[in-house]
Order: sequence, then structure tokens, then C-alpha cells
Amino acid sequence: MPSRTLILAAAAFVALFAGAAPSGDAASPWTEATIGAPTRQADFSGRLSAAQLQALMERGEALFTAKFTTVDGVGRPMATQAIIPTKSKRPIQQSFQRLPGMDSNACSSCHNDPVTGGAGDFVANVFVSEGFTNADFDTTDPQFSNERNTNHLMGAGLIELLAREMTAELQAQRSMALNQARSSGEPHTVRLTSKGVDFGAVTAEPDGIVDLSGIDGVDSDLVIRPFSQKGVIGSLRQFTVNALNHHHGIQAVERFGPRWTGEDDFDEDGVEAEMGAGDVSALVAWQAGRPPPSRIAPENDQWRRLSERGGDVFDDIGCGGCHRPALPLESLVFADPGPVDGAGTLRHGETENGAVYDLALLEWAKSLPRDESGAVLVPLFGDLKRHKIADQQVSALGNELLGQRFVDRDVFMTSELWGIASTAPYGHRGDFTTLDEVIRAHGGAGRDSRDRYVALDDTDRAALIAFLKTLVIAP
Amino acid sequence: MNNRLIFAALFALFPAAAAADAPKMDIPVLVEQATSAGIEHVYGGPWEYFVGGGAASFDCNGDRYPDLMLAGGTGPARLFVNRSVGSDNLRFAEMPLEVDEGDLENVTGLYPIDIDNDGYRDLVLLRVGRNILLKGGADCSFSNANRDFAFDGGRAWTTAFAATFEPNAEFPTLAFGNYVDRSAPGSPWGTCHDNALFRPLPGNRLSYAERSALSPGFCALSMIFTDWNRSGTPSLRVTNDRHYYRDGEEQLWRIDPGKLPRLYRRADGWKRVNIWGMGIAEGDIDADGFPEYALTSMGDTKLQTLDEEAEEGRPVYRDIAFERGATAHRPYTGSDLRPSTGWHSEFADFNNDGLLDLFIAKGNVEEMPDFAAFDPDNLLLGQHDGNFFEAGHLSGIDLDRRGRGAVIADFDLDGRLDLLVVNREAPVSLFHNHGGRTDWGTRPMGNWLQIELRQQGPNRNAVGATILVKSGNETRLRKIQTGGGHASGHAGFIHVGTGVAERAQIRIQWPDGEWSPAYRVFANNFVVIERGSSDARYWYP
Repeated sequence: MPSRTLILAAAAFVALFAGAAPSGDAASPWTEATIGAPTRQADFSGRLSAAQLQALMERGEALFTAKFTTVDGVGRPMATQAIIPTKSKRPIQQSFQRLPGMDSNACSSCHNDPVTGGAGDFVANVFVSEGFTNADFDTTDPQFSNERNTNHLMGAGLIELLAREMTAELQAQRSMALNQARSSGEPHTVRLTSKGVDFGAVTAEPDGIVDLSGIDGVDSDLVIRPFSQKGVIGSLRQFTVNALNHHHGIQAVERFGPRWTGEDDFDEDGVEAEMGAGDVSALVAWQAGRPPPSRIAPENDQWRRLSERGGDVFDDIGCGGCHRPALPLESLVFADPGPVDGAGTLRHGETENGAVYDLALLEWAKSLPRDESGAVLVPLFGDLKRHKIADQQVSALGNELLGQRFVDRDVFMTSELWGIASTAPYGHRGDFTTLDEVIRAHGGAGRDSRDRYVALDDTDRAALIAFLKTLVIAP
Repeated sequence: MNNRLIFAALFALFPAAAAADAPKMDIPVLVEQATSAGIEHVYGGPWEYFVGGGAASFDCNGDRYPDLMLAGGTGPARLFVNRSVGSDNLRFAEMPLEVDEGDLENVTGLYPIDIDNDGYRDLVLLRVGRNILLKGGADCSFSNANRDFAFDGGRAWTTAFAATFEPNAEFPTLAFGNYVDRSAPGSPWGTCHDNALFRPLPGNRLSYAERSALSPGFCALSMIFTDWNRSGTPSLRVTNDRHYYRDGEEQLWRIDPGKLPRLYRRADGWKRVNIWGMGIAEGDIDADGFPEYALTSMGDTKLQTLDEEAEEGRPVYRDIAFERGATAHRPYTGSDLRPSTGWHSEFADFNNDGLLDLFIAKGNVEEMPDFAAFDPDNLLLGQHDGNFFEAGHLSGIDLDRRGRGAVIADFDLDGRLDLLVVNREAPVSLFHNHGGRTDWGTRPMGNWLQIELRQQGPNRNAVGATILVKSGNETRLRKIQTGGGHASGHAGFIHVGTGVAERAQIRIQWPDGEWSPAYRVFANNFVVIERGSSDARYWYP
């Protein structure tokens, strides 16, 4: 029988080596893990108090800024960047590669200008491909990918809430058309409008079939997908799950776990369950809680006067037709998971621990403008609608070869202009260094306003720029 | 009973250990609710009705909700019209049939198909005695059309059916599988009836006046037209009950247009397989265009795949049931370890994970002592590694009833497949799919699409068409077929689970071989594709 001394010595030995393990817990200052103990979804369920929401957002910020490591699960040697779990045909030669990814260490590696959660410089561009064929492309040849500048995430919670309300409204209008057609026995056409934005028309037949050929700027399921330059991502949660895999090789369990792939380690990097639902929720909460950009009143008298004039020019030449100064939002209650996601992104009803983040609890929400009905006026300068933005003569913004997720190559979501003064460069590729250049690049649906801008005198053009320069992300 | 009580009762019954061993996939909770849904019906009768027990699911009133007609054996076949609203509960209401009562009796099985291209689905009634073609009309009206269609229903004991539209034919070719010839000397042993093939006579007037015998018959219990070799010309696969035949086997008939049917033989590569063949399911598990077949029997189910090492064009099949965990050879729960008796089989995606599952109806023939008395139906869930996992007891379908025919359809059009099973001398079971099982209730499962094809002229429902649904690198394949299973068929939306894919491209190969353009659709929608149209359209319940 070993002596008491031997037992103690053995225990000390075990403790020493356990402590030196590279994946030591977060309590170890030298740990190379950044995700650490997973967030328990159950601890943040139901309607969160201000303190709970704050705690979840703090966890989200820690994750957003964490430079993930292989201990966390960075790496996807046998999985592509695709949004549908897709195996690589062969192990990837270089785990980090700026073209197909992995291409960054932290979310904030790109989303950092001028604040964490902000936009990215041209150097932070990413290359978007479906990730199914030629997933490991090694060229910037546009036949393999579309190059995209990094969007900012400020006010993203408000954007998603607007999109949810608009989706519900459009789908209700479709249902109304169906009810009318079925009860009358005659086809019934309804215009699809939400928050003053027109999305075309649908015609319901008495037998329940809907003719969708007249819709405009929205997907055929009438779901507003507000995120990405292309407007093809429906929620912050979906964006988060996509991006974690694409950019970091961190695979969220809710899509890449055994429920949908039959594997605990789909990317075969030796780390299972790389990010659970609770941590994805933390990232969502942090992004949803980003304060919106603001509009400053310049202290410089000339700038102030010119920007006021520029606001009028903005209206006069029709910029506000797409870049709508504000859209009304009925509710600041952000449910996570949300109502529009499909399988593979945690959905409403898919967990007993769903949470509600009341954005009204956040300090910045108190200063949001409201209309006479009490609706928040979200000053996004956008319409959450896709438009064709290139034509035969003015085609610089249609400079891509590939469509993306059923959206044609020259069709993009209207860029929200809030914060634009803080997020140069411009354009979906980030290859316009000045606002003047990108305005002049508007073709297609923006052509008329663009032509009117070009026809302005120098003072009015300067006024418009002066106005746009008041739309900032506060540092 | 409210849902909470249903789940409490279900979870109390689930074997905890089995649940713990289950793969981390969605196991659909299937709640039996025939009585509350308004369906109380029993299939029964003497020896002739030990087999059969079919159901037909199709829309007879134009609302696209699947209605049901159920075989009754010696009792009448009955029509139940779907009155489901929303997805909380299924609702059906019986509708009297304005058909001679005698025509509705002695029915073993039923298959829906629009025979006369009038836009209404007709019904083929398989009977002990004269088979009947019921012509469908508006508002679920039916009439005996044997005379109008110049169809001689014969006097055989019919237990199998399949139909196809041959090239340039205005009307479908009908195949009937017959069982024992009870009038033959020595019956029932070695006295299987010939099967029959009815090709429509040329011309615009429908006539089935010409009957060809498919001889020899080996007591067929299921048949299906299948394009097993991607030739574009389906052959007729027949599964036969070795209990009664002598020197018989499984059969594959080559049905070339304008030629007499010809059996594939040993020289063609066809191997002798002797089983108590009860039902055929066709499903292309790997979407390579060469379908797999699940053949039910007593004891092992066969899961056949075209042998990759066989010479091209030869029907050489390999049984992969054992390696895939799909033999389903004995009850998976309870203490009865005697072999199972399988009947209806069908591939479908019950949990919308994008993988085909396999349902098998089970039940003792009557009181055969060497076979399991408690023989619950199987729900073999497809897994990502290609194997199947038995989830019948976890889903709630393991009732002590003798299953026969079945229909898998989305009765409430909520995207989740439901299940109706016809049982011998016991009430039919109607299982409502509530979603994926969790320890706190049910949850939404994978994404899905449901697809309806339409074309002008003959074969307006595109029987024989192939549907390819592509998302990323994954392709899922479905065929529109009339036949197979056990005495049961369905028509209507074709259901495809798409897993986590929220978008898909659909391509159709129409029955004449022409390919459609790719249609871009979003998941979780009902899609209607009209031949020649540049866009798919959505339909809403």
C-alpha cells in the first residue's frame, strides 16, 4: 500500500501538470483558450433584466473581440466556408488563407472602425463564395468569389427588428390577398408595402397559388434579409453562425453539431462542440445592443449651414427614395432566437430557453426619436430593400461576375448611410475612397438621383457631402 | 387531451435507456389520434383479407389537402375528407360515396391516379373479385367507370397495382398483381394467378379492352414501375409471396413500348431472390439516379442497391440491409423475439433532416405461431453515415396492432409528414407529427419543400417525372410514381426535407425525358411547377 507521502506527492504531480495544460480554464491567466466556459443558455432565458442583458452583452463583447485559437476550435481542415455543412474534398493546405478563409482571428479584426463593431478598411475585405465548388480558390479572379468590404454593425438590433416587422407585414398582406381570392373566387392583387417602402405586388389565385412575378427587392418568401451588402442574411444569429465558420473555423453546434451532421467534430480539427447556443446568443445580444450611429450638429458654422442645405439637396435629388432617413419601429423587444430563421440557426420554439432582449433597457435607446404614435424612428437612411445599382453606362457597382444566393450580380441591398462619415471606404468592394466617387457610381435604380447630383453646382454637391459627413459613429 | 398531457404520457412510455442511446438527431413525435380526428375504421375479413388493407391519399375536392379512402375488406371502403385547419389537430369527416355498395366491398387496396386526364384523380380499387376503376369528379364524387373505360375487372384476387404512362400514350398503362387462384386445383399451394397488364388502345377514346397476361404470376403483393437503369423506360418490379408459389421468385418485367412484356432472366443478370414479398419501397438514398428498393418480407427486410461491380445495364442487385441496419427482422421492443412480418414499406423524410427514412408496417398475418405476435411498425431514421436507426418506440408508433397498408402524407400541410396505417381487424392508426422530441416538448425539425408538378395534356400529374432538389453539394431525388407499398398509394405534393438548407434549386425531368430549367425556391414552401413555366410558384394552405 502506498504511503501517505507518496499519495500526496502523486497528487501534487497531477495538479502541477493539470495546471500546465495548454487548455487551462479561464481562471488561468496564461490560458490559450479564449472562449472558456460556455455560456449557459438557461441562465439567460426569458425577458432579461437590465443586469442580465448587460452581463450577456459583456460576454458577447469578450467573444467578439477574442482572438480565437486552435484550443477554442479554430480551424476547419475538413470543412468549407459554406453555410450548409460541407466537407472539404481534401485537407486544406493552409488553415489561414485570405481568400476562402479562414481569414481573421477575431470578429473585431475586421469590424473595428471607428469602434469595435464598426466597419473595415479595404484591407479587411473578405471574399464571398458559396463554398460548395472551388471552395479553396486561391485567386482573386472574380469567377470564384465576390470581394466585399466589411459593414459596420452599429444599430444592428434595430435593423433586424425593422426587418422582422416588415416581413410580418408583407406576409400578412399576402395572406390577405389569399383570403380575398379564396372568398371571392377571383384573383386578387395586392401591393406589398411596409413602412412606406414598396416591394411590388403579388396576385393570389382562388386556388391558393400566388403569382410572385411582380415582387421587387425582396425574396420570394417575402422575408426581409437585411444583413450583408447583398441582403441575403436574415438575422444576426444566422450571420454569426455563418461568419464564425467562414472566418474562424469555429463551428456553432446549432448548425454543425451532430443533430444536422451526425458528427461532434464536423470540421475534424480535434475540437468538439466549438460554440454552443449560449455563446452565440451572447454574440447576438452584443451586436443587437450596439448603439446606432448618430447625426452630429457641427460646431463649425459653415459646415452646419452647408450640411443643413445638404439635407435639402439629399431630398431634392431623390436620394431619400432608397436611403430613407428613418423607418418607424413599433417595438424594441428583440426575441432571440427570432421568428424568421430556418433550421440550422436556432429558431423560435426550438429551445425552452429563448430570451427576450428589451433594447429599451439600453441607455442609447432613451434618446431615439419617436413619432406621434410612439414608434421609434430608426434613422438608418435605408429602406431594407434590394435594388439594381448598375446600368449600361454607369456600371462600376455591378462589377461582379457571380450572383449570390439567388440575387443577381448587380443587385444589392440599399446601404444604410447612418455612420457613413466614419466608415470609409465606400461601395460593396470598398474601392471608392470618397463619397463623391461612390455617389457618381450609382447606376440602375440610383441613376436618376446620381445624374441630378452630377448636374448640381459645386456648392450643392459640397453641401450634400457636408450633410453626409454629419452621419457618424460616435467614438 | 391537451398537448402537455399527450407529451407527458408519451415520455412516460419511452424507454429511457433507448432514448439515451439514440443518435443526436430529431426523432419525430408521432401522436396517434385517429378517433379524435374523426376516423374510426377497421379493415377485416376472412383469409382473403389476411393480405391487403390499403389506403389511398389524394385531394378529391381541390383544396390540396390530402383526403383519404380506406379499404374495408368485407366491409365497405370509405372516404374521409380532410377538414384539418391549422396544425394543432387533424380533422377528417366521412363523406358518403354515391357508388354501388357492392363495389365498395371486398376491396383490398386502392391507388389514386388521373386515368382519363380530366383533372380529377380517379381511384383504382383492388378487390377480391372484379377490380373497379372509380372515375373521380368534382367535390369528391365518384362513379364506376369500368364500362366507360372498357375495362374488364376480372375475377381474380388482386393485391398489387402500378401504373405508368408509356411514351406518346394518351392514357396510363395499368398493371394488376394477383394473388392465389382459389379456383385452381390444389389451391392455394402453387396456384398463383397470372398478373395482368392493360395498355390503353391507341386513340383519344379511353379503352382498356386489351389485356395481356404477365405470366407466370407468383402471388404478387406489390409492384411498381421503376426506371431502375435510367433508361427512361420504366420496368415493372414485382414482389411475390413465396408462401404460395412454387419455383417462383422476385420479378422484373421489361416493358418496352409497343412490345410484349419480357421477364429479365438469369442471362440478363437477374438473380433469384425468394422472399415472402409484401411491399416495395423505392427510394434513391444516394441520389445517383439508380434507386434502392426496400422489400418487406417475413424476417429480414431486403434493401437492394444496384451492384456497382455489375456490368452496365444489368439488373444485378446487392442486399445492403444488414450493413445499413435496415433488416428490421424482429420486434425492436417488447419480449417477443420471433421474426417480424413486414407489409407496407415507404421511404420518406419524417424529420426533415434531408435524409430518407424507411417506414415499415408490421403485423402477424393472423396467428402464425412462428412469427411475432406483438410486431410494432418500424420507423428507421436515416443517418448521415448511411445507416438507419430504429426509432419506432421513441416516436410513438409502436402500437400492438397488425399493420398492413399505409400512407405517409402531410395531412395538415405544416411541412411535417404524418402517417396513416391500416391495421387488420383493428382501428386504423393516424399519427400526427408534432415535431422533434425533446425533454420539454417538441421542437421544429429541418427545412422542407413540397412540390407539385403539372403539365398540359395527358399525364397532367407527371407520373414518371424525376424531381431533383439541389442545395449546395447535396442533391435529393424523388420520383412521381403510382404503385408500390402494400395496396396503398398517394398522390399530391411530393415532400422533400432539406435539412439546414434554406434555399434550393429544383430541376424536373418530365416523363418524356425533357429537363426543366432550374427553379430557385426558398425552403419551407409549397411549390407548384407548371411545365414550360420559367418560374415556380408558391401555394399557401
